[in-house]
Amino acid sequence: MHDLLQRFLSLPWDQAPQWLFLIPALLMLLASAAAVMLRNLIHCALCLTLSFIALGVLFIALGAEFVGFVQLLVYVGAVTMLILFAILLTPASEVAASNNPFRSFNLSKAVNAVTGGAVALLVLCGLLAAIFFSPHARAAVNPAQAAVAPAKAIGENLLSHTLLPLQGTAILLTAALIGAALLAKEERPS
Amino acid sequence: MNFSDLIQRIPGIIKSPETVPVEGKKLIVDCVAWLGSAVGITLPEWVLTLVSILIVIVTIIAVFMVMFALMSVFERKIIARIQNRYGPNRVGPCGLFQPVADGIKMLTKEDIVPRGADKIVHFLAPIAMVAPALVLPVILPYGRGMVPIELATGILFFFAMGAGTELAVFMAGWSSNNKYSVMGAMRAIAQMISYELPLVMSAVVVALVAGTLSPNGIVEAQAGYNLGFIPKWFVLTPWGFVACLLFYLGALAESNRSPFDLPEGESELVAGHLTEYSGFKYAIFFMAEYVGMFAINGLLVTLFLGGYQSPLPFLEWIPSWCWFFAKLACVAFSMVWVRATLPRFRIDQMMQFAWKFMLPMSFAALIAAATWHYAGRGPAAWGLSALIVGIPYLVLGRLCFTRHHTADNRTYLFSE
Amino acid sequence: MMLQVLLAISAVLFCFGLLAALTRSNAIMVLIGIEMMLGAGNLNFIAFWKFSAHPELLTGVMFAIFSIALAAAEAAVGLAIIIQVHRRLRSVNINRADQLKG
Repeated sequence: MHDLLQRFLSLPWDQAPQWLFLIPALLMLLASAAAVMLRNLIHCALCLTLSFIALGVLFIALGAEFVGFVQLLVYVGAVTMLILFAILLTPASEVAASNNPFRSFNLSKAVNAVTGGAVALLVLCGLLAAIFFSPHARAAVNPAQAAVAPAKAIGENLLSHTLLPLQGTAILLTAALIGAALLAKEERPS
Repeated sequence: MNFSDLIQRIPGIIKSPETVPVEGKKLIVDCVAWLGSAVGITLPEWVLTLVSILIVIVTIIAVFMVMFALMSVFERKIIARIQNRYGPNRVGPCGLFQPVADGIKMLTKEDIVPRGADKIVHFLAPIAMVAPALVLPVILPYGRGMVPIELATGILFFFAMGAGTELAVFMAGWSSNNKYSVMGAMRAIAQMISYELPLVMSAVVVALVAGTLSPNGIVEAQAGYNLGFIPKWFVLTPWGFVACLLFYLGALAESNRSPFDLPEGESELVAGHLTEYSGFKYAIFFMAEYVGMFAINGLLVTLFLGGYQSPLPFLEWIPSWCWFFAKLACVAFSMVWVRATLPRFRIDQMMQFAWKFMLPMSFAALIAAATWHYAGRGPAAWGLSALIVGIPYLVLGRLCFTRHHTADNRTYLFSE
Repeated sequence: MMLQVLLAISAVLFCFGLLAALTRSNAIMVLIGIEMMLGAGNLNFIAFWKFSAHPELLTGVMFAIFSIALAAAEAAVGLAIIIQVHRRLRSVNINRADQLKG
């Protein structure tokens, strides 16, 4: 017991702050797991929001402050609101019985769940193997100084190196705005 | 560090703040270190940091709670004066202890959760509402060197946190399992999303001219005087005046205050998303709304009214934080005035106003600000930018507010 | 080690998204899964940016910003399509949307 305590205390605690990002990361994983598993669609969307908030905090913890705030602004303020509105615009009966294969037993649904789960697990194993056994990922070392992304540098970058993608994104967003408005518009009988 | 040195550095006591840069947080750290040494302990660095952070948090919460309490009584008294009656005057001298009575009443009321409600979400909604509201004030510069958290992307932080409010409103409305709540929440979210666009755009205008997203940098950009006595506040330029008005209207809408109080219009929707809340949870919603209002008014003061800069050169001996809070009080008073005077918007008017008038006007202000900057910021630039915001104002005003456009083509979006 | 942990977290998030997209038959849940996968992609961009040889070039950050903008557009159009499908078929079950003709 005393030995364990001694070993616990002799861990490299001065490096602890740089592992603080694990807190939002674990919260994010828990929330996204809940978003996949829960029965009620609104609960799923709310858990997704929590997962996005934790992801934004994770970005901030990794030094990408600007991206983290943009993530919070866009995802929490806009995307989840769209999803929640869409859920409310579909009838209440389907919100209640959102055919979740994990809850109600039914042969075809069970097969569906098992196949989907197997595929996801396979992909996960492949990814993890690639991450932990690839020589490139192992070659990466901890950076000497903290990487930061100041807003001014991002702005200058947006208007110099990535000007063309920026214009393309602007056109795409306009097209998406018009397209979404046209698609969702109710066709009234003339 | 001795005691007289500390006293010398308190912002209110120094005569000319320009000569001695006052760093509020460093001051707190030194104060704690001095207290420690007075008792005979040398405190390590991390304790000092932790204690100074705690002191800043407690101070912000305490100041905003006191402001909320004062506002709740003064708002009622001012509205009463405007409507030719007395207002609360029973509790304490001139009714000043009314907030205490209100608080006791709220705390002792029964906390009712409807049987059909989603209990967890119903419980979490007030927390989700008050947490972002209490985080908002930390980026505001209250005086020279008095920024609780110096963030290079402070404005973005403010809007990112403000986005959380919509989620809380949805949670409150949906979990109550009441159609008035859901309709009120949908209205509130539609209104907040619509008015967030002109709000953010008018803040972008200022960020464009100041060349920074840090609130302190924006206030610094408004230092100095034209002709020796006209302050260089952004509200005194044509584009800044327009952006300031847009921001003010957006702030009214974001904090769900009259004339934009449709989400909780008593005559239509009982109390909107607050219908099924009672007791302390209701008080928390109320508090979050007021703290959010103060925070957004503080941002308005920071962006357009020069923050902690004094309006006239010979008044600079008054400490900078006094100016900030004086300006904040003026903006808050004007919001009360508006509430007492104007009737509520109709929902289609509200949406039209946001999308067809305020959004194009904020784009016009953006172009005018860019013109003002590249034309040299002189009198010619002033005239040019006035032209660029003036013409769209006249054209849009003609298009949006002629009678037949608003009165006849009514669509009842949420009543089907 | 930190990079690998971050990539593993992002891989787990991606697979949760994949699971949602593959197993749920509600179109909105599929969209939620896709959003999660995009978030995992963004996390990878940020992680690789942080551990790159030249973080001052901001490549990963720029990618993440554009990716967030595109994800917002994707969500808007996707939900508009879902609402239109719901109007036609009175259902958001993707197994029922099996005709090529409106």
